[in-house]
Amino acid sequence: MSSRRSSSRSRQSSGAPTSAGMTDAQITDLVSKLQQLIPQLRSRHSDKVSAAKVLQETCSYIKSLHREVDDLSDRLSELLANTDSNSAQAAIIRSLLM
Amino acid sequence: MSSLQSNADSTNSEPLQRSNPKKRRKIGHTNSPTLVPWRSDTQQRIYSSKLAHALRHVLRRNHPPPPAKSNTGREVRETADRVLAATAKGRTRWSRAILASPLNRWKLRRMHKKVRKAATGLAKRSPETRRRLPVVQKKARVLGRLVPGCRKLSFPNLLEEATDYISALEMQVRAMTALTELLTGGTSHASA
Repeated sequence: MSSRRSSSRSRQSSGAPTSAGMTDAQITDLVSKLQQLIPQLRSRHSDKVSAAKVLQETCSYIKSLHREVDDLSDRLSELLANTDSNSAQAAIIRSLLM
Repeated sequence: MSSLQSNADSTNSEPLQRSNPKKRRKIGHTNSPTLVPWRSDTQQRIYSSKLAHALRHVLRRNHPPPPAKSNTGREVRETADRVLAATAKGRTRWSRAILASPLNRWKLRRMHKKVRKAATGLAKRSPETRRRLPVVQKKARVLGRLVPGCRKLSFPNLLEEATDYISALEMQVRAMTALTELLTGGTSHASA
């Protein structure tokens, strides 16, 4: 348990499983799962995609998702500010969403 | 309304394997406790209703909207993130991190960035990290910064958190898009 908390990177030797208790195969499995989630890499066979590429695409995908959420938040804030002033719409929304 | 509640109950009790088979394939069950099925429609509806509730509170606080600073967008974003983390039921690290530090996570992030730049030389530990190629190492660090609360996580745990986080973010986008369309549709109806 405690070995998980301590930094796993500095304690590793080349052949042993990581201190998190995971083997290389499980890590590869996780990477392939991650790859399946990312729309850009989904169609490619996992043999041709390196782990670095998966991580890179993951980072850019998460960034783009963040941007999209930010954009949607801005639009939502505008819409909600306008809507609240009109009580009829607020009633409609309340009845639909709650 | 009551149907939503019963749906929520059934989601909790139904075996998660059916709704999201990809997550259950090979990983040992000790490492991935029952995660939220972000893909299911029910989950999205739960999130949308919670979000609508929370946003109403935000709006009530801001109701004479302060015209000087228009940071309502950021408040909406933070609320959406918090509701997302709450929907995750605290089983993942990123959700717990979001819920634990609601006070201006963005400002803390910027401060962290400055500190990290100063300490980069000390924190590298490059001879001991030969196990992962330094390229992968760098990218893993970037990923750790992107996912909240996962900066010092081990590589496999980081990957797990990232998979869950991405599914959750996708659901967040879907729910907020639907909400926006709903409001936009409502506006045009009222004006017509």
